[in-house]
Amino acid sequence: MEQTRYTVRNKYSDVPYEVKEQLFREVKSDLRFTDYLYGCYECGICVAACPSARFYDFSPRRIAQAVAREDVELIYEQMNDDVWECSQCFSCNRCPRQNSPGGIITVLREVAVKHGLRSAKEALGAYGRVIYKIMSTGTQVSPDMLQPDAFPDWGPQVLDVSKNLDTWRKAIPPETLHTTETAWEIDDKTIIELYLIWHMTGVMNMIEKVDEGLYTILMDVMEEKLEEAGYSM
Amino acid sequence: MPSDSILIVGGGPAGLEAARGIAEIGYKAILVEKRDRLGGTPDEASYAALTPHFKNTDDVLGAMIGAITSNPLVEIRTGSTVKECSGAAGDFAVTLSKDGKEEVVSTGAIILATGFDHFDPGRETQMYGYYEHDDVITLVDAEKMLKQHRFVRPSNGAVPKRICFIQCVGSRDRQIGNEYCSKVCCGIASKQAIEIRQIVPDANVFIFYIDMRMYGYWENQLYWPAQEQYKVNYVKGIVTEVLKKGDKLVVRGEDTTMGRPMEIPMDLVILSVGMEPSTGTKALAKLLGVRQNKYGFIEAIGEPMDTVSTSVEGVFVAGAAAGPKDLEDSTSMAGAAAMKAIATVRRKSAITAKV
Repeated sequence: MEQTRYTVRNKYSDVPYEVKEQLFREVKSDLRFTDYLYGCYECGICVAACPSARFYDFSPRRIAQAVAREDVELIYEQMNDDVWECSQCFSCNRCPRQNSPGGIITVLREVAVKHGLRSAKEALGAYGRVIYKIMSTGTQVSPDMLQPDAFPDWGPQVLDVSKNLDTWRKAIPPETLHTTETAWEIDDKTIIELYLIWHMTGVMNMIEKVDEGLYTILMDVMEEKLEEAGYSM
Repeated sequence: MPSDSILIVGGGPAGLEAARGIAEIGYKAILVEKRDRLGGTPDEASYAALTPHFKNTDDVLGAMIGAITSNPLVEIRTGSTVKECSGAAGDFAVTLSKDGKEEVVSTGAIILATGFDHFDPGRETQMYGYYEHDDVITLVDAEKMLKQHRFVRPSNGAVPKRICFIQCVGSRDRQIGNEYCSKVCCGIASKQAIEIRQIVPDANVFIFYIDMRMYGYWENQLYWPAQEQYKVNYVKGIVTEVLKKGDKLVVRGEDTTMGRPMEIPMDLVILSVGMEPSTGTKALAKLLGVRQNKYGFIEAIGEPMDTVSTSVEGVFVAGAAAGPKDLEDSTSMAGAAAMKAIATVRRKSAITAKV
């Protein structure tokens, strides 16, 4: 094993180096990786352009640097502590070396999710409701999510709307929008295709890694529909 | 009696190019070199591949030497030194010494191409321990190994797996007195880093720097390939000391852009030593009464547009005798010096003819 790299500080010393190294190997083997990272001048233009860097202790430069230097320990730390502070706006793409720190972060996040790193669980926890909605129905936001307790800042108007949701929806001319539990009418064929895609591309495995509860609920919903359509799980 | 010939001191790239230019125009060049061989520092210090094009040093020098040995207008005097000089532009009398025998030659102009010395790392003000640790070497030592295509730790002959360059050793340092940038070391370190990765593909190579000075095309001839293809780690931060730890060395410094101290084990440390005026440059400047700058290099008085005229009429400078220069600088200056030297002897003999 390659002995000490940059020493002095190692926040996640309880995690074996080999584990961190394996995660980095996955990052590097991503097809997009070579287009996202050439070499880093450490000039800071990405930080200057980064909206997150103005509000958090976050630096796309440090991410690009750590990855360019193949600093396995630091990359692991960043996968846990930093990558979720990026808003994926890609303002950092103005790099003179044509790196994409935001793109590197996309890859780091995906590996973090695939391996169910603690930070990925925490960061995605708040999105459980949205993920459930979009993965079970195929639409992200539905009219019945408009509840006064969910939108206190919208004032009394929300209550009016939510009380008579069905009526309001029927006032919209296209019949496909006369729905309350989904944003629009979802064809069974569409939802079956979506379920199949999520199963076959490994998205379900990722969900299982970050949120087991959500995974169980989704599987229940999906199983029923898929079996009806003649697919066995 | 005015002389039409031009005396060149120094048989390195600048001296060779000046002699070639003068002879090709049709004037007589007398090339004086203290060593028994031509080629100058690149030959003496066993340079392997030249920066930045990776051309073989012996091939490049061979072609330059071939161009003058085949020209009867060039008189080559190796193993010779300059002892004395009298006279003035158009009519100098220069005493040469070879094997204890002296001879006076007359010349209309003189070109000093006496070059530089590599900085002696024993004089650095950090604690790198060049003379204490076998595995602390210089760019020059590394170049010798690269020339033999054998890259090992001097202490035990093992192949090094963790190697670092420390930049600016002996340059940009007020305490040492060399306040200038030596101009070529960033490129040479990057070139060597690439070569090391070629010879030892699983080696980790680091370059610790203050600023990387990869001007012009060196950027994508050396810097980008080193970083992108050869995965050389450039870390902004200068090592302050090299310690011995068992069989290894440990370098201590700050990783400035990451804002953290660092202590990294190394198998081999390469000091990127800069340039200082050579003994020959300092001696010749004194002998000819040519003004030197505060670092001892010969001062070019007409800069920026005239890079070769000195404080003495009829005496010109070319190459690293005038300060840190790369090969392009040196040979370009040689051409300019040849042209100005010829202009001087023509002008002087025309005046004499009129009289």
